[in-house]
Amino acid sequence: MTPPSLDFSAAYLAFSALTLSRALVFAVGALLAGCGGGGSSASGDRAAAPPVLAPPTDPPPAAPPTSPPDNPPATVDEGITIFGSRDAVFTSRASTSRFLSLATFGATEEAIDNLVGTRAERWFLDQLALEPTLMTPVFEEYTNQFDSLTFLPVSPNTMGFWRHAVEAPDQLRQRMVFALSQILVVSDFGGELLSDVPSAVTYYLDVLARHALGNYRELLEEITYSPAMGHYLTYAGNLPADEATGRMPDENYAREILQLFSIGLVELNDDGSVKTNSDGQAIETYDNRDVTGLARVFTGLEFGADPDGFDDESELLSTALSQPMTLLEFNHSQRAKEFLDTAIPPNTPGTQSVSMALDGIMAHPNVGPFIGRQLIQRFTTSHPTPAYIHEVAGAFNTGRYLLPDNTAVGDGRKGDLSATIAAVLFSPEAHGSKVAGSDRFGKPREPVVRLTQWMRAFAVDASRPDLAPILHDLLPNELLGQHPFRSRSVFNFYRPGYVAPGSLSGAEGLTVPEFQITNASTNPGYVNVMTHFIFNVGAEGEELEELEELFDEFGLQLDEEQALRSFIAGYERERTLSSIPESLIDHLNTLLAAGQLTDETRDEIARVLDLTPDPNQLAGEQRLEAQQLRTMLAVLMTMTAPEYLVTQ
Amino acid sequence: MALNRRNFLKQLSALSLIGTQSGLGGTALSALAADHSGYKALVCVFLFGGLDNHDVLIPYDPAEYNEYANRRSSLLGLHGASRARESLLPLVPQGTSTPTKNWALPPELPSVKTLFDSGEASLIANVGPLIEPVTRQSFLDQSVRLPPRLFSHNDQQATWQASAPEGAQFGWGGLFADALLSESASADTLAFSTISSVGGGPFLTGRRAFPYLVSGGRAADIFLLDELDDDESNLRAHLEQHFKGDNYSGSHLLRRDLQNSYRNALETNAAYNAAQLGAPELATAFPQTGLGSQLRGVANSISIRNQLSVSRQVFFVGIGGFDTHDNQAGSLPQLLSELDGAIGAFAEAMRELGQHSNVTLFTASDFGRTLAVNGDGTDHGWGGHQLVVGGAVAGRQIIGTPTPPVFDHDLDAGGGRIIPTLSVEQFAAPLGSWFGLSNEELAFALPSLGNFDSAGLDLFAS
Repeated sequence: MTPPSLDFSAAYLAFSALTLSRALVFAVGALLAGCGGGGSSASGDRAAAPPVLAPPTDPPPAAPPTSPPDNPPATVDEGITIFGSRDAVFTSRASTSRFLSLATFGATEEAIDNLVGTRAERWFLDQLALEPTLMTPVFEEYTNQFDSLTFLPVSPNTMGFWRHAVEAPDQLRQRMVFALSQILVVSDFGGELLSDVPSAVTYYLDVLARHALGNYRELLEEITYSPAMGHYLTYAGNLPADEATGRMPDENYAREILQLFSIGLVELNDDGSVKTNSDGQAIETYDNRDVTGLARVFTGLEFGADPDGFDDESELLSTALSQPMTLLEFNHSQRAKEFLDTAIPPNTPGTQSVSMALDGIMAHPNVGPFIGRQLIQRFTTSHPTPAYIHEVAGAFNTGRYLLPDNTAVGDGRKGDLSATIAAVLFSPEAHGSKVAGSDRFGKPREPVVRLTQWMRAFAVDASRPDLAPILHDLLPNELLGQHPFRSRSVFNFYRPGYVAPGSLSGAEGLTVPEFQITNASTNPGYVNVMTHFIFNVGAEGEELEELEELFDEFGLQLDEEQALRSFIAGYERERTLSSIPESLIDHLNTLLAAGQLTDETRDEIARVLDLTPDPNQLAGEQRLEAQQLRTMLAVLMTMTAPEYLVTQ
Repeated sequence: MALNRRNFLKQLSALSLIGTQSGLGGTALSALAADHSGYKALVCVFLFGGLDNHDVLIPYDPAEYNEYANRRSSLLGLHGASRARESLLPLVPQGTSTPTKNWALPPELPSVKTLFDSGEASLIANVGPLIEPVTRQSFLDQSVRLPPRLFSHNDQQATWQASAPEGAQFGWGGLFADALLSESASADTLAFSTISSVGGGPFLTGRRAFPYLVSGGRAADIFLLDELDDDESNLRAHLEQHFKGDNYSGSHLLRRDLQNSYRNALETNAAYNAAQLGAPELATAFPQTGLGSQLRGVANSISIRNQLSVSRQVFFVGIGGFDTHDNQAGSLPQLLSELDGAIGAFAEAMRELGQHSNVTLFTASDFGRTLAVNGDGTDHGWGGHQLVVGGAVAGRQIIGTPTPPVFDHDLDAGGGRIIPTLSVEQFAAPLGSWFGLSNEELAFALPSLGNFDSAGLDLFAS
């Protein structure tokens, strides 16, 4: 595995923080100055201002919002009581928003409008039918744009992630890719081969995308042959044992495919509970002899590309890393390979050995509860109940799940991921009374998903993530502590079994993986990153100079206008609501927080908005700024409230 | 969550009773009384991935060196001149525990060699997780209790830090800090007693102590609050309150945890940065590396110890990359250079601050690695070698039992994975005693300590 490497580019951080800080001075300072710094004086300003200065196009002030009203102030219950008695109709805007926030990269106003009153099964089945949005076209687009394999210091996979999260129609599949990328981890962290030759991760992500709603056994096989994994877990080029020198096959992949990708360390029941022996001790699933036996299977795999036809070494490498590895029989161990209950006879050919080994792993009863629990954690709740795990593991094991309307999902083979995710999303354990009265159901939204949620909710132009430097790397603890496909090690950003020390949840023994990246650095970091986006700092142009230098260095023309409108929110709808804080807050509560904000939080946001100038008392540019300021503050406060940060 | 003092004492006495039954009597450890005086700090440098012991302490006697070179010929071929015998830095230890054979450091560790020679650093050989002493025979017979999940990264990292595999709650760094914290310590003092530049990991978590994350020497601010000026003090106050989660009064456990986490982060960060105002710049230059900047941050924290109102601190820093399954000859020398440069600068900075004898730095790592080479790298092992550096250290020693460069010897668990001859807890115990823990407190922090012959390592000059 690639170990946790904890270095980061101090220079980049300094740049990022500086940019943010300078831009904020501009954004907030300008807004508050523009608004006169207080409600009463602003009102006075307007009275003194000759009306003729108001631009004629300015809409009439004080118009009450006429768009369809949100539901009456949502209560916590409404936000989480989705499917009463196995009925999966989207009954309210808040419940629709909740489902979308669990199953996609964020609800949009339009999706909520379209789905209210319809059945959730319909949405789910429509999602299953969508063609996968793949990463390779993004890679090719960037390659063509830059006319070479030299990239800006920003990964095309990072670019593709933000684009797909915001724009791809197959949202469920894309969320699955992101979830699977955190279980079957490869990473472009650390400036090594996988960042230098990004096609390897591009290919890997497309393997995930093609199988995300397919079958786990087939996914494991394609991953085993993928150059990204072969490099990341160091079995590409792995040779059989040599008695003379004492050389042994590399054990890295053999160990991690068992520990992390399939069965885990201890035997599990189908409800995820740990099996114990007569002494009450957990029973370990394997020991080092199993690892040594399995390591022989993963010998002889080599990056495969015919060097003929390439005159450029980097092109050859890029091609070799974006196709399955080749199994060279003459480098494959001829010895018997024994592990778990699998015995592969001597002289079994390599591809057959791999296939038998993966069948053996897949047959282990742990795979369903082990993978199922982790998928639940990525979508709905950090510490699922035994009943919930049992239901999801059952769907995984039988390859079938019955939706509330009795539509069957899955092809009946073990490892069916569409059946598995159906169980995760539709289980009664994730809805209704199991959730509403609980003080522990739910999960901290992943920092990256909070950000995509903002992008989708406010329909930003996400076509050019390369023009928003802060999106290039959000991994440092001073920022989000999470970045797509860039974990510091094969152990992901956080461990599924993480119990936060010194916490209330920890005292109850609850696993909350995301708390592993919740600390004195990432907490302010998250607020800062969100402030950057919510306050449209990118539109101030503070980053243009650095961007220009970067583009110059690569001989590229910077499209400044595109840069200034990338990832900028217009907040058109929100601005019309901003003169009546309660309307604005209701709207954001539904759209962003699935109606889960408490009355105290809603009241406090309203108090803060009341501290700012009333847009109706202003005209022209000042009015616009006052509307924006209220919107931005309300969005930021919503997205930093504990009821938002932990979704129930 | 904070345990009250009475319960804490009750647990302690219960544990020391258990300790007595399992052989931890009054004679087991020298009868040191707890010492709370003055200032002291421990700095753990964690080498994530598993440092290859066989590439750090290298046989120097010609016959053994040749044996080693044969065993590792493919790797040494890739290393080139840097592992030629004449390139190595031979160690000339002093004192009673000197091994019979001669050993050398690789040429990437010149500062370590200098510190060793001047008596400010020692090497602890073949230390690793154990529950009780293990021999090759008892290992093969499975007649001995072994630490769970040997050879697994995350579990052995946790075991090094907290005597149990992943999921462990309390690390000995945090428990050491607990023992020296006064009952009335403020929340800020609690935070500043256990500072980490690396997230996650249980090392610094105690019953009261909790890792406080600072990177780059400055605690994180919320820029928006900084940018609101005095005219907007009301808005600022409301927002600050909101970011601290003050408006949430619900009962959801995860939401309350996040609320607490945000509140603590904001308050402690503000106090840390306030303490830094007017702090003198360190003259010592640190290398511009990941570990260099982390240890510079530690030195900064130590320089403002009075402003932070702490008399005991435990630090946790670390770098990754040591999991050298492949390209070991390419990557390990760079990592060792980074380690060497940062440790050298840190030792110098401690002299500059006059805290040379009050600060002890030590390394730790998931595990050692195999003597067997897998082509161009090595696989997960068990026992490894660690460094202890500082003015109080009884330096210029190789403590413990380095093993010969062959297979199937008495400490070979297979492939040249070394069965440790010292447990992590035996290694930790003298660090804790020096830090000021009583024997009872040590026994609480290090639950298996009583299972070992505990004459104690002579890690510190008496």
